[in-house]
Formats: sequence, structure tokens, C-alpha cells
Amino acid sequence: MHIQDGVLSPVVCAATGAISLGAVSYSVHRLKQSVGDRTIPLTGMMAALVFAGQMINFPIGAPVSGHLLGGVLAATVVGPWAGCVAMTLVLFVQWALFSDGGLFALGANVLHIAVIGSWGGHAVRLLVQRLARDSHQGIVIGSVVAAWASVMAAAALFCLEFRLSWLSSEIDFSKVFTLMVSFHSLIGLGEALITGVAISFVLNQRPELICRMGAPVRPDAEMSRSAHPTAAAITRTVIAGLVIALAIAAFLSPFASPFDDGLEAVLNKLGIENFQLTNRVPGLLEDYDKIPVPVAAWQSIAVSFAGIGGTLAVFALAWLLGKALPAAPQQLSEAAGE
Amino acid sequence: MSDYLDRFGRGQSMCHRWPPFAKLFAAIAMILAATCVPITHGPLVGIVACVIFFAHTMARIPLAYVGRRLLFFWPTLFLMAISLPLSQAGQKGWLLFVTILVRGTLSFSTALWLVNVMPFDQLLATLRRLRVPDVLLAILSLMYRFLFVLWDELDRMRTARSARLFRKLTLWKRWRSAAHLVGRLLIRALDRADRIHGAMLSRGWDGRTRWIDSRREDRR
Repeated sequence: MHIQDGVLSPVVCAATGAISLGAVSYSVHRLKQSVGDRTIPLTGMMAALVFAGQMINFPIGAPVSGHLLGGVLAATVVGPWAGCVAMTLVLFVQWALFSDGGLFALGANVLHIAVIGSWGGHAVRLLVQRLARDSHQGIVIGSVVAAWASVMAAAALFCLEFRLSWLSSEIDFSKVFTLMVSFHSLIGLGEALITGVAISFVLNQRPELICRMGAPVRPDAEMSRSAHPTAAAITRTVIAGLVIALAIAAFLSPFASPFDDGLEAVLNKLGIENFQLTNRVPGLLEDYDKIPVPVAAWQSIAVSFAGIGGTLAVFALAWLLGKALPAAPQQLSEAAGE
Repeated sequence: MSDYLDRFGRGQSMCHRWPPFAKLFAAIAMILAATCVPITHGPLVGIVACVIFFAHTMARIPLAYVGRRLLFFWPTLFLMAISLPLSQAGQKGWLLFVTILVRGTLSFSTALWLVNVMPFDQLLATLRRLRVPDVLLAILSLMYRFLFVLWDELDRMRTARSARLFRKLTLWKRWRSAAHLVGRLLIRALDRADRIHGAMLSRGWDGRTRWIDSRREDRR
């Protein structure tokens, strides 16, 4: 999932690094401003939790398993600023301990997982939550939608960065994007499911943990959170809109290839000639002639499937999880206390 | 976990005795070289690879360890890289495929070298001297401190779960139980954060971080 060094070009790494640096500095600034003295232990613990939570495997097929990303989860529990800082530190420690994800690609990884995951995820969740009148169901539905949208937005951004990294390359990138988008819509489904179940579990057992910071279920928390509630709301709506637009762009990216038009036609012809060459080789390469034909059709089918199926699945998921919450979660919290 | 992480960080080789700044900047320079050298310049790539290999042997990091880490690392990078030629039906993109594989491998092994010659506390001290904000470093050191505690907690919870579990679960139930594991761990972690906060308060925590100056230690 993490981008390694060498995948993106140094210039793109520098640009994403600068954007992430700005976003994280702003988060640290807001964190310092908002602080009670408990922020530091809470954020540190949240970062450690996300790190440990990524060790939990979610089986997909026999050898393949996925894990939590955690941006939306962190933002839901400790708020967007602390969540962004915690996720950034998780990514940094993953590099420093496991050398997982590159050093120069750290900027891109932070942008995708920490900034989009926490800021964007928080904005989307609040938007959905408001629509559901701040109920517990609203929190769960909002976090499911936010988790999925943030993964898709990250995928769209990655496609863009990848394209900009290899401008001079002769590859038809729209097909690469198809693969990326299909792949990420699966990852996004997993992330949405994990985040939703985990949050609804915590809401069942200890609702005050989620409602204590960031999530404005209590009116007093809402009042103290921001001095200019309308300005903050506008900013949030803008960010949420941006993330949703990026998520939609993820589905459009395979269709729109703004950089290569004329060149592509030429290369296609060359490609067909190559393909006829390989056609003469019998045996092992025989399968190749079956691949190129479906690719064109497969592209639009795969994207439509990922788009429509994925969206439907997320909304079904959100609805089911919201439905599964009992009407009075408070009663359970005493029984479950350890 | 502890023999997996940071395993050779306390070694006494030549590389370990370098000043921390030198280690950090040497690693950054090597990664920069590894990601910028064009793949078609074979000899240059070879030189970079040789320097990285030499650094590993100088730091007395066993080759078997490096190989094992690479074995775990390659599949993910390979999946990422193979999507290029695969999506072109095997016609184009092989050069880019090789580029990504080589660059990824080189920068991964450089990072692995840095991890193994620079213990985490030294990295923290270096970051502090590079004027990374105090709040960030305080959170980072707290995170590092309690990471291992949470891992142990997770291990205990997994043991308890497998002790309770006799049947093979369906996929959905396994997902749900894993997600509940995350949720339960979250609850325990936040409760622990509360207790830590209380303990910090009782020791006079006022929201400012104070560091034991490790500068002398670094120079040694």
C-alpha cells in the first residue's frame, strides 16, 4: 500500500513533500492551540494504536490479507488535527523501523494517508453525520463513507502523481489507472468495513470515547471547538467536496487521458504490429492474443463495476452497520466494563 | 518483535560509531543517488549498488538478515511494478518495471542500513537538533514507548481469542472478530492514555516537554 522510493520521480516527491509539510505544520499548529495537557499522551497512544492495529490481519483470500489504514479511525476518535499528526508519525515510524514506504515518498504517503485520511475523512464524516442529525448511526455511516471516499481520493491523487512522474514514458497510462482504481476500490471497501465495524463496536461499548473529542454529539463540545463556527463549517464542506470530487475523479481517470492523444494512436499501431509478431510464436505466448482484445472492453467494464458496485456496496454497508446499532447503546456500556 | 526491529542497532562497528548526522545524511544521499540514476546507465547503478552493499558489510549486518527482509519486501514492490507491463498486455512498460524494481530495492536496502546503524533514540535526538517541533517529538517518543506495550496487549488478546475459538469461522465472522479486536484495542489504549496522563500529572506535567540533553552521548 505504501509508495516505495523509486516509484515517483524526485520532483513529484518534492512537490508532495512540500504540500504535506504545510498540512502537517498546520495540524501541529492547531494541536498546540487547542491543547489541554492531555493531547500529547492521547495522540501518542492513538499513533501507537494505529500502528499496532495494522498488525491485525483481515483475511481476503487464502494467502492474501489486508489491514487497517486508520486515518478515518484516528480522526474520529481524536479529531482531524491530532489524527493527522498521529498518522504522519505512524508513517514515519514505519519508515524508520521497518523501512516500509520510502523516505522521499514519505511526503506522498503522508498526503494520501494522513492528510486525506484525517482531514478529508473528518470533513466527509461530519457532512454525512450532519445529514443524519448527529445520531450514533450517523457517526458510523459517516465514517464508512469517509473511509471509502478517502481511499478512492488517495488513489486518484496517486494516479495523477504517477502520470506526472513518468511524463516521457511511452506507456498508455489509462490502462494502468484502470488497474489501480479497481484495486483501490477493493482496498477502500475493506477499509470502510473495518473502520465501520470497529467504530460501531466502540460506540456500543464506550460511546463517550468517541464523543469526547472532535465528534460533536454534545452541544458544549461543538461550541468550544471553534471560535468561528460558520467559517469552520465552510472550510469543512469545501474539503469534503474536494475529497468526494477526487473519489469521483478516480473513476474518470482511466477514461480521460489528457496527455496522450496523437502519440497514443501511433503507439497503438506499433503495439498491434508487435502483437502480430508475438502471435507467430506458438506455445507459451499463445495466451497473449487473448489478452489485448478484452483489455479495451474490460477497461470500461471494470471501471463501471468498481464505480457502481463499489458505491452501492459502501452505501449498503453503511446502512447495515447503522441499522445494527442498538437504539440505546448506553445500557451496554456498564455490562461491558472490564 | 524485538529481534525483528532495530536488531543490530547496538552494534559497535565503524558505521555505528559515525556521528548521527553523518549517518543520516549519508543515507539520504544514497537514496537520492539510487532514485535519480537512470536505469540505462548500468555501470552507475552498479556503483550505487556496490556502495550500499559495502556499507552493509562495514556495519556487520548479516547478509542472511538483509536477504530475509528483502524476501518480505519484494512481493509488494513486484505487485506494484508488474501492474505496468500487465496493463499493457505485456507489450510495453518493461523498462519502467525494471526501473521501479531496481530503485525500490536500492533505496529499501539503504533505509535498512540506516535502521540498523542508528537506534531510534539516536534518531530522535538527531531530529531534535534538526529543530523538529517539540510537540511532535514528544508524541513520537510516547508512541515509541507504548508501541511495544500495545503489541504485547494485542498478542495476549489474540492468544485469548484463539483459546476461546474451536471452530473455523466464516469469512464475515473472521472479519468481524478482527474488527472487534481493533475496537477493543482502541478502548484499552485510550484508557491507558488516561492513566498515563494521570501519572504524568502527578509527576508535575504542565504541558511542556523537557529533554535530558543527550548531546554528550551522541558525540561519544
